[in-house]
Amino acid sequence: MSTPAISLAGVTKRFGKFTAVDRLDLEVPAGVTFGIIGPNGAGKTTTIRMVMNIMKPDEGEIRVLGEKMNDRLQERIGYLPEERGLYRKMKVIDQLLFFAEIKGVDRPTALKRLGPWLESMDLSPWLQKKTEELSKGMQQKVQFLGTIVHDPEVLILDEPFSGLDPMNVILLKDFLAEFKRQGKTVVFSTHVLEQAEKMCDRIALIYRSKKLLDGPLREIKRAWRDRVPLPLPVEPEPELEAIFVKVVEESGLSAPSAEELK
Amino acid sequence: MNKKLLAVIRREYLQQVRTKGFWIATALIPTIGLGIIFIQVLLARSMVAKGRIGVVDMTARLYEPLVAEYQKEGDRDPDEEKEKTVAPESAKKPTLPTKMEFFKVDATPETLAEVRKKLNLDVQKERIKAYLVLEAKTLENGVAEWRAESVKADMVMREKVAGLLSRAATKERLKDRGVDPEIYEKARLRITVDPHEAKEIETETSKDAGFNLAVSGVFFFLIYISIFIYGAYIMRGVMEEKNNRIVEVLVSSVRPIDLMLGKIIGIGFVGLTQYAIWGALAVLASLPGVVAMLGMAEGMPPIPALTIVAFIVFFLLGYFLYAAIYAALAAPFNNEQEAQQLLMIPTMLLVLASTTWFFAFNQPNGPMAVVLSFFPLTSPLLMFMRISVQPPPAWQIALSVAMLAASVWGMAWLAGRIYRVGILMYGKKPTIPEIFRWVRQAD
Repeated sequence: MSTPAISLAGVTKRFGKFTAVDRLDLEVPAGVTFGIIGPNGAGKTTTIRMVMNIMKPDEGEIRVLGEKMNDRLQERIGYLPEERGLYRKMKVIDQLLFFAEIKGVDRPTALKRLGPWLESMDLSPWLQKKTEELSKGMQQKVQFLGTIVHDPEVLILDEPFSGLDPMNVILLKDFLAEFKRQGKTVVFSTHVLEQAEKMCDRIALIYRSKKLLDGPLREIKRAWRDRVPLPLPVEPEPELEAIFVKVVEESGLSAPSAEELK
Repeated sequence: MNKKLLAVIRREYLQQVRTKGFWIATALIPTIGLGIIFIQVLLARSMVAKGRIGVVDMTARLYEPLVAEYQKEGDRDPDEEKEKTVAPESAKKPTLPTKMEFFKVDATPETLAEVRKKLNLDVQKERIKAYLVLEAKTLENGVAEWRAESVKADMVMREKVAGLLSRAATKERLKDRGVDPEIYEKARLRITVDPHEAKEIETETSKDAGFNLAVSGVFFFLIYISIFIYGAYIMRGVMEEKNNRIVEVLVSSVRPIDLMLGKIIGIGFVGLTQYAIWGALAVLASLPGVVAMLGMAEGMPPIPALTIVAFIVFFLLGYFLYAAIYAALAAPFNNEQEAQQLLMIPTMLLVLASTTWFFAFNQPNGPMAVVLSFFPLTSPLLMFMRISVQPPPAWQIALSVAMLAASVWGMAWLAGRIYRVGILMYGKKPTIPEIFRWVRQAD
């Protein structure tokens, strides 16, 4: 079997008397989309921060792509934290190039890679603007591009959908689907179970610092089939998201510019 | 050098240099500096001794000689005339024109109180500038009374009058002893002490000394003010990254220590850029053609190389030390208000250091100056000043630089440990014991 993308063995993190993560074992196989689910305060963000080496575990061992965290390894991971932001006074293009540089990608390569994305996201006209002049939705796109500009092998996202506008939720989902097609690993945390259910191959449920459930989603569903009530069969009906996209498309209106949004 | 650190340095540098604020400050600081000098020149010119002065002469011997002395010299000081003939190469002191008018007020010991009353009123109503009361004993005890609106004001005028009175009185006293006052006039000699270095080849003449001291003073002030300004930049930058929530994105790519060092180095380069611009302007201003155009009599003598080297070394080391302190103090807090109390510490130290220039100036090898030029928080300013006044032994300079460099290293290490934990702390303001716990935390 190939090296797992991420593995945690007996990882514990305490803040004073509070144990945020308690002897956590976790393995994320390469190439899967993995959901860490659980309520707020369960220990998801702390776990992810330890994987990213932003915090050190008190006990246990963490490996990403078979290695302990190091400078080179950082360059193979894309990370979107829950607490995220941009330099407000910096031009969009400078910002993206800076993110590329600190991930070890030189500027020409970064520019070449960014080109198609900038076109498809309608960001090209905004490259020379300061970030603070952009609408929130545009800023979210810039933030996401900054996360993937170095073409990472593993993508780690902490509550990626929180605060996104509906268009960007769709955009992000498409991106993640594309990543999966390319055989890359995506790990994201969420407290919205619906998202995890739709997108993940495997999930882990963390509750009160402990892992309660872990495995391929389909197997989990099969195992619990007889122990939880099944939903009543319903008439297939379109999803609101699909309706939203269709309505917007048929209206023939272009996406709002930042000035209009202000 | 590591590429990520370079990227951080580049970002910090370009972001600062591209702001309008940087260019405004670059233009404004020398403008304000020159403005202050200009105003001082104007002030000096306006310090003309001017006004009507009443003289209550109860010696009955001094009024006429006083007026005679005043008229004889016009607005020339005979002391300086003589000085020029004796030491023609000495720097020319600007002589201040005077426009005084003396008038005699009669009084006897009996009427003096009445006369004072009237003259006091004249002064208060600004009909006259001041009045002198020369008691009968003035020629013996050398004390004259000056009455004006303020005891403190009109120093220049008072000095002038004192000079005139002294000469008048001396001549009267010589007459009493049967000496012709003309002899006194001819025999009087004022000697200037011309300082030279005790070496066969002098590197600094007294003519350059004043200029060099002024340059050292300006550089001293620049070190002080830039540490302040750029320290504040560091602090605001750290808090900005924290408040924008960008810092977690950054530390997933860059080690916190590199992020901190990058910020400090980048902003340090901003400072050097500013100096380079000013330096270039100064060089431009001292080119012969420009000098002639500006109507300056002679160009500036060259600034000693040692002063420039010392300036750069001590500015950089001092800046790094304080920048690390500011970074460490900014990281744990959410805004400037929260950090205020702790920020008082480096600020007060810096202000204190700036007030100690006097020690280096007056007694560059005195115990106070020597101690302060080793203590890292004051040495950037004090050792620089000592070097530019009277270079201390090489071992002292080396020791001072070594201690400062070691402190920079130690402080950067300490600041890095506080920084990496602090920048991820949101919400509650941390206590000082908590901050110390971060320092002890294992990697």
